[in-house]
Amino acid sequence: MSSFALKSFTGLRQSPTDQITLVSHVPSSLSLPHRRTSLRVTASRASPKLANRTLRVAVIGGGPAGGAAAETLAQGGVETILIERKMDNCKPCGGAIPLCMVGEFNLPLDIIDRRVTKMKMISPSNIAVDIGRTLKEHEYIGMVRREVLDQYLRERAEKSGATVINGLFLKMDLPEEWDSPYVLHYTEYDGKTGATGQKKTMEVDAVIGADGANSRVAKSIGAGDYDYAIAFQERIRIPDDKMTYYEDLAEMYVGDDVSPDFYGWVFPKCDHVAVGTGTVTHKGDIKKFQLATRNRAKDKILGGKIIRVEAHPIPEHPRPRRLSKRVALVGDAAGYVTKCSGEGIYFAAKSGRMCAEAIVEGSQNGKKMIDESDLRKYLEKWDKTYLPTYRVLDVLQKVFYRSNPAREAFVEMCGDEYVQKMTFDSYLYKRVAPGSPLEDLKLAVNTIGSVFRANALRREIEKLNV
Amino acid sequence: MSISMALFSPPISSPLLNPNPIPKISLSLLSTKRLSLVSLTRASSDNGTSTPASSTVSATTVEAPKPVEEVSVKSPSENGAVGGEETDLTTTTTTEIKFQDAKWVNGTWDLKQFEKEGKTDWDSVIVAEAKRRKWLEDNPETTTNDEPVLFDTSIIPWWAWMKRYHLPEAELLNGRAAMVGFFMAYFVDSLTGVGLVDQMGNFFCKTLLFVAVAGVLFIRKNEDLDKLKGLIEETTLYDKQWQAAWKEPESSSSTVSSKK
Repeated sequence: MSSFALKSFTGLRQSPTDQITLVSHVPSSLSLPHRRTSLRVTASRASPKLANRTLRVAVIGGGPAGGAAAETLAQGGVETILIERKMDNCKPCGGAIPLCMVGEFNLPLDIIDRRVTKMKMISPSNIAVDIGRTLKEHEYIGMVRREVLDQYLRERAEKSGATVINGLFLKMDLPEEWDSPYVLHYTEYDGKTGATGQKKTMEVDAVIGADGANSRVAKSIGAGDYDYAIAFQERIRIPDDKMTYYEDLAEMYVGDDVSPDFYGWVFPKCDHVAVGTGTVTHKGDIKKFQLATRNRAKDKILGGKIIRVEAHPIPEHPRPRRLSKRVALVGDAAGYVTKCSGEGIYFAAKSGRMCAEAIVEGSQNGKKMIDESDLRKYLEKWDKTYLPTYRVLDVLQKVFYRSNPAREAFVEMCGDEYVQKMTFDSYLYKRVAPGSPLEDLKLAVNTIGSVFRANALRREIEKLNV
Repeated sequence: MSISMALFSPPISSPLLNPNPIPKISLSLLSTKRLSLVSLTRASSDNGTSTPASSTVSATTVEAPKPVEEVSVKSPSENGAVGGEETDLTTTTTTEIKFQDAKWVNGTWDLKQFEKEGKTDWDSVIVAEAKRRKWLEDNPETTTNDEPVLFDTSIIPWWAWMKRYHLPEAELLNGRAAMVGFFMAYFVDSLTGVGLVDQMGNFFCKTLLFVAVAGVLFIRKNEDLDKLKGLIEETTLYDKQWQAAWKEPESSSSTVSSKK
């Protein structure tokens, strides 16, 4: 289409009068897709009004994604049911939330156990770089306990009018007709029937699958599989004098010994530290990597006691199908975890909210039935807003986590102030900020230099091996 | 416990043999732990029919039998109670060989010790850093706050790197390109009678020249061909995974993919 426009313009130089008419042609052909989308919108607007009831939506999973979705749905006037299998679940998680999440989701400051303002990146040869000098006074990375955050968001959803059920989602019957309801089969736990719970069914018009990495909703709609990493973490209570070092500091260790395609971390939590690592390609060696991570941090966690060991899968990329008819996936169930940093909490909550907003809008505050096109709008909005972020982090992971020399170069780059400023800006506020071109050029030159030096040293190492 | 003690005593006398015993121990630990690891990950990642309370208990009690680290000093507070067992991380008996070198002072290379005829011998600095990295790759060490590693490779000037790495390789590649170029020019001349100057004017020959130069630059070893193919696929894979949601044959919004 653009080549058409070019050809017509070169021909135009001889006849300026034609230029105006041809120019008017170009925008109309460009607007065709827009006309097509407007057609789709009117199709859903024509879907029937629900007779004397509001739209019923079930949110499966009560983590950040489910809680945010349920709250937005309930506030929008939709009848919402939130099903969560374990109300006091301590999800194994790094627990880091960006600054923008506190503002966007109105989180009370007492939910945040610690404010991390300094980070240390440690290369395979133990070169340590301090990050955080560029942070302003009010900027920090919040460390939360998942059980506290999830409970808070669920309670807020309940206060807005959602019904919270403690139950385990088993399976879902897909509707026969286009306007038949989805039948959910779940086991409800209440104190009376003890641990086994009671099997129940429920009919709903739409479902939001927010049930995490091993999503059953995803299985029910045939969403497909994704590659996932195993994150393994040990919570260690260390002596108080060592804890002061981690007061507001988190560490990241990179190296082949710690993980072949991810990083090892020491994150401070409320009164202990979480030491962990993860991998996609060498899941069987995760214990070895964990030992290596503990070894690298040994001096700083000496005398600590392991109080808990936990592991969880982390999706590496979205599922092939993130929605099907009136079922949409959000959060980890959809696979919205970034590469390179493995961040998922903010994206889970944001996607839950975005999907719920799309449902509220498409159903006009619960008065009409929705269909797949309304949920597609959520996918479009999500991809448009966050795909650049995901792409950039993917490139960073591919370039800098490949090998030890790449990691050495990465740590060297992180020492640069410009890099730190850009990294924190994009992490804390979730926008890929355009920096100044001159600085970008300098950064590119420095990156190439670092990578070259690190690879040169690797060749030297290979020469020594011979 | 006594066996592990015996295994740990030889390394003190023979630093060269040090790397070997430790991986063996971790390997044996790994094999015994494999069962527990499988049940551990299944317990904590299963959304399954087991009641919610039991999954975390099984996660902690599975670890109860043996401490994971290679320490002979065990804490007496080890119990399999539901509250979670505690394993102590104090290591007092193992001694590790840390990286030591006369020229490595205070976490960085002392450049004054590398002087040759009054100027710093950058080549030996590079070799020394390579030796240090190799040592650390084979024997990963803990980081300490008392002796932070501060060395930054950018203090070595750019021309030292050029002289040592870029120039020899450039010589090699230019040599290859010259040989290929000479032979191809002779070959084309003998077949078509077109001389070198006239060959340069031809578009097809210019394309061949471009392909030859690119080939010499990017394909230096036999494995590079497959590596390049893998790279191209790798760069587009993530995008494909994201766009998969839009490639629905049955839905009406396949037009949306054309918008993208």
